[in-house]
Amino acid sequence: MDILAGILISTGLIFFLGTTIGLLRFPDFYSRMHAAGKGDTLSTVVILLGCICLISTQGDLSWILGLKILLIINFIFIGSPTATHAMMDAGNKAGAKPWKKDAD
Amino acid sequence: MLLVLVLAIKGPTVIDRLVAVNVIGTKSIVLLLFAGILFGQLDMFVDIALGYGLLNYIVSIAASRYYQHRKCLEPEHTIGKGEVS
Amino acid sequence: MPSLPIWQFDVPLLILVVLFAVVALSIRNLMGTAIVFGAYSFMMCLIWAGMGAVDVAFTEAAVGAGVSTVFIVSTIYNTSATMPPRPGGLPFKLFIGVVVTLTGVFLLSAIPDFPKWGEPNSPANATVAPYYISNTIADAHVPNIVTTVLADYRGFDTLLETTVVFIACIAIYSILRVDEARSKTEDSGPVDAEPHYDPSDSLIVRQASRFMVPFMQLFALYVIAHGHYSPGGGFQGGVILGASLILVAISFDLKFLLAQWREKQIMLMVAWGVFLYAVVGLGCVFMGGNYLDYGFLNPVLPGEQDMARSHGILLVEIGVGITVMFSMIGIHINLASNGHFDRGL
Repeated sequence: MDILAGILISTGLIFFLGTTIGLLRFPDFYSRMHAAGKGDTLSTVVILLGCICLISTQGDLSWILGLKILLIINFIFIGSPTATHAMMDAGNKAGAKPWKKDAD
Repeated sequence: MLLVLVLAIKGPTVIDRLVAVNVIGTKSIVLLLFAGILFGQLDMFVDIALGYGLLNYIVSIAASRYYQHRKCLEPEHTIGKGEVS
Repeated sequence: MPSLPIWQFDVPLLILVVLFAVVALSIRNLMGTAIVFGAYSFMMCLIWAGMGAVDVAFTEAAVGAGVSTVFIVSTIYNTSATMPPRPGGLPFKLFIGVVVTLTGVFLLSAIPDFPKWGEPNSPANATVAPYYISNTIADAHVPNIVTTVLADYRGFDTLLETTVVFIACIAIYSILRVDEARSKTEDSGPVDAEPHYDPSDSLIVRQASRFMVPFMQLFALYVIAHGHYSPGGGFQGGVILGASLILVAISFDLKFLLAQWREKQIMLMVAWGVFLYAVVGLGCVFMGGNYLDYGFLNPVLPGEQDMARSHGILLVEIGVGITVMFSMIGIHINLASNGHFDRGL
């Protein structure tokens, strides 16, 4: 179980690193939102699943804690992409221009 | 998380800062749970993490609504009272 | 207790807090400042959670990083988002710099006089704290010491804090509320019962909010009721309840929320929470004890003997939660619609 938790958490951290590099390097606001919405949510869900595996071996009330962490995963899974959608809609209405590849 | 802070500092538009704060908020929930595991008392920290996950969502939606209604990224340069659009 | 990795956890957070503050102050756009201040509040919450003060951390996360940012965004929505250029030339700025530096030096010079971090002989830890720690379970049967101190040992404080929240709501109401009969704005008619959706509003946000609002309210009720055993209590639960109504207001229309909760009902419920708190105290007087001495409520409340203090704490927390919830939503409606109570953020 601990090995599984370690694998999940390190995978989540790798995803998060990819998200961060994407956030900094993408040329346009809209592509940055891609990185933020997808990568951030996925890395958080994977890290929290690893946390559930980590605590399932210790303590006696750990199934309640695992249920609560599952609830957190639920809210982040539904809320974070919706927030990304709202922000992208706001950027569209407010007039952020998409990046066009320069004609070389 | 420091790298995301760099985005918050230098982001060319203000919505980039909103995205950065949203990402920082989500990662801080994870950090709270790690702190709980480190200190051995996870049951205290899970409630805070759950509460903040819900509130992070509300702040993002509220700030997005501001830009949806205002329809411009740079603030107007008038200092009079704004209209409710 | 084993040596906890406090310094590795606290020092990066403290550096981040200072960074966030500097960033927030150097952004010219007020919306950016507001958003970064939300993140700054959350870093403070993490620091307090690292110190073990989970109730304070919960309140800071709920109020500072959540609702307070929404209030600031609503205010900026109704005013402008620019900061006017500051008058005065270089000597003025030099003078301000010197004053701020001197004040900072004076404040920082008091740091060596503080007791060390976590020292057991400091005045806060040596005089009153051992009494609380050893007598809470015997007196009130409530494992959460913070809730007991807040609502039982220091009950007067909490009563007056709730009154302060009530006064804040009334103050914003009295400053911003526009009397419709005397104003000459075009009126949008009486508040209808059916929801008005802006056609450009997003279905996705509405559906997601429709999913999240019942869970938020259930979680907030859990936080209020479980405040005896887990971090929480009246303030935090009330703020999350208010935040759920704010979510309804910003993802649907403000009129939709006003159709559910009329203005008179909101104001009545704000007062009702404080009234409940005060009545519990008066009930103790009628039963023969001092004001807010819950032990005398034993014959009235259900449950076994001498659980009256625990139930008294619960009643008082419910009162606090009600006031805070409706204060939050009252302040938000006033700020977002600039007092007109018809349209807004």
